[in-house]
Amino acid sequence: MFKYFELVLLAVLVSAVPTARAQDTFQRIGREATPAELRAWDIDVRPDFLGLPPGSGNVAKGREVFLAKCAACHGAAGESNAMFTPLIGGTTKEDIASGRVKSLSLRTTSERTMFMKVNTLSTLFDYIQRAMPWSQPKSLTTNEVYSVLAYLLNLADVVPENFTLRDITMAEVQQRLPNRNGMTTDHGLWPGASTNRGGIGNGGQPDLKIEACMSDCRTEIRLGPPLPESMRKAQGDLAEQTRAFGPVRGTSPRPN
Amino acid sequence: MNRTPNQLGRLRPAPEHFLTDAEIMAVKAGRRDFLRTSLQVASAAMAAPLSARATEGDPVILQLPEWTTTAGRPVADRPYGTPSIHESQLQRRQLRGLSKVAANSASFTPLQGLFGIITPSGLHYERHHQGWHDIDPTRHRLMITASNPAFIRTPKVYTMDDLMRLPPVSHIHFLECGGNTGTEWGNAMVPTVQYTHGLLSCSEFTGVPLRLLLEHCGVDFKSARYILAEGADGASLTRTIPMELVESGEVFVAYGQNGEMLRPENGYPLRLIVPGVQGVSWVKWLRRIEVGDQAYASREETIHYVDQMPDGRLRQYTSVNECKSVITSPSGGQTLISHGYFNVTGLAWSGRGKIRRVDVSFDGGRTWRQARLEGPVLDKALTRFNIDWVWDGESAVLQSRAIDETGYVQPNYGQLRSVRGSRSIYHNNAIQSWEVLPSGEVNNVQVL
Repeated sequence: MFKYFELVLLAVLVSAVPTARAQDTFQRIGREATPAELRAWDIDVRPDFLGLPPGSGNVAKGREVFLAKCAACHGAAGESNAMFTPLIGGTTKEDIASGRVKSLSLRTTSERTMFMKVNTLSTLFDYIQRAMPWSQPKSLTTNEVYSVLAYLLNLADVVPENFTLRDITMAEVQQRLPNRNGMTTDHGLWPGASTNRGGIGNGGQPDLKIEACMSDCRTEIRLGPPLPESMRKAQGDLAEQTRAFGPVRGTSPRPN
Repeated sequence: MNRTPNQLGRLRPAPEHFLTDAEIMAVKAGRRDFLRTSLQVASAAMAAPLSARATEGDPVILQLPEWTTTAGRPVADRPYGTPSIHESQLQRRQLRGLSKVAANSASFTPLQGLFGIITPSGLHYERHHQGWHDIDPTRHRLMITASNPAFIRTPKVYTMDDLMRLPPVSHIHFLECGGNTGTEWGNAMVPTVQYTHGLLSCSEFTGVPLRLLLEHCGVDFKSARYILAEGADGASLTRTIPMELVESGEVFVAYGQNGEMLRPENGYPLRLIVPGVQGVSWVKWLRRIEVGDQAYASREETIHYVDQMPDGRLRQYTSVNECKSVITSPSGGQTLISHGYFNVTGLAWSGRGKIRRVDVSFDGGRTWRQARLEGPVLDKALTRFNIDWVWDGESAVLQSRAIDETGYVQPNYGQLRSVRGSRSIYHNNAIQSWEVLPSGEVNNVQVL
């Protein structure tokens, strides 16, 4: 009996075995989740809006909720970078028309607000619902989430001032997100099946293929700009950040 | 005593043994040139080994110290041991200027002082998206569900009792934040290896293969090709993971880390282990796995953890950490204590498998020598490398370059920027350069 159990265990661990085997072996472990439990934790909203709860909210109500619960961190117009990356800014009417945020391809600014990047409206609903506000996550009602999202969309010029966002209008509004066409999955950093096989990415092909040169690899060594002195100083006394014995010491601060 | 400063393997006494009181004061006052001065003092002392202060030898030998002449402390004096008081320099540190909210921030592992491949649990780097809690394990649950009821025979709830009854696996893997080395895309921005590469740790994790749990629930692997992993923290952070990694048996739900339970900062009592994939996918305080038929475009794979390319496009679902290495000592913010022999040491790793080889250059990449791989070379784990170096006192630029078992060669900055520009933030695996000045001071530089 014991031998048989061991064999089953080995099979479960090292090969793809029928589900029934796992269920037979690991008895009295875990239990079926109740419908109420499933509902309580199933809060994710997918890009196809599966999981989106029915509801609605308008810009005016959203402004009210945002000023009361969100503005302390994000600023009244979602523009603040005092605590977190700004939500609003850096997008134009042309971006909304094209679906690509032009400034991301320019070297003139390093600004990257939330609306400059996001391409799926489900993501914003999902995140506000699960994680906001900062100190009381999951405390907003469904309609408050819709309202706050409507307010943000209005601040980003995606919807007009008198707009009401509803579950059934989410897909339509998504078609106005300024960076909706700005994502790509054409890369080798997804560890699953490739796009060609119904997955994501190119199947793990790196974007660089380099030969490992061993000698005469460079004729000149040109160094980039030195570490900014302010950045060195910002990290405190480096002499205190390395062990006080051994082959090296931490370098003491430079005199002013 | 022979003066053979460049002889391989001859270690000199540390110069502070020869410091005068005035020089000790200078060190305490933080004078930058103390080491150079002390080198001269040390050299003088070596020429005449019996110094004025200790005419018959080293005072720490001649005058027995208190630990040799008194009784020590009892067992279990500190029921959970802590490092020596002399090791206070090696701490997790925040990068000042990185975040304005400490519960939405990161602390960095002090790689500059660590040995081997295992990161002490208390020094494991942290990245929290909404702070950490010390969760009561008796009130923690793992729920396994499906986006469509047809994809699972029985959605289940597991307690920690349940999970710890199941047959466990233990594996050593590295864990690297996708944003590690993110400050360096444009140019050298931070002074030490703790800040350039310290969002990196490696532990032995113990837990239950996720495949076993999904089989136990009767998941339809044909239809459900993705999983969503969700945390129990305020952020309830979520990431999408391909079912291929689960089916391979690599992904597991872990409760153990380095022989004990996970630390709260690292996900106590349960986190996901996704070998080779960036840290954000190793969801901490894991409360739910949902299997589904499409990716989830969560906040951490849409607004953050997207890699900006030169044409402005954002690469989404970038997950694998490609082959990378760094010399940890000597490294930026350190000063060599003398000319002569040094063991140059560092770490190499790859999200695509084992490390095959590490090369080191002392001349900024003109020529390379193969380093020794020390200790276990494991799949998707940190690998320690060492190489001999005799420093002649001239300027030098130290670099390491790793090659993994797929043949992928770690790129230099010119090569990496040629395809990804300099604004990606994430997945910077370029070759790191440390410039050694004639003073012995080591600085973070980039070879263009």
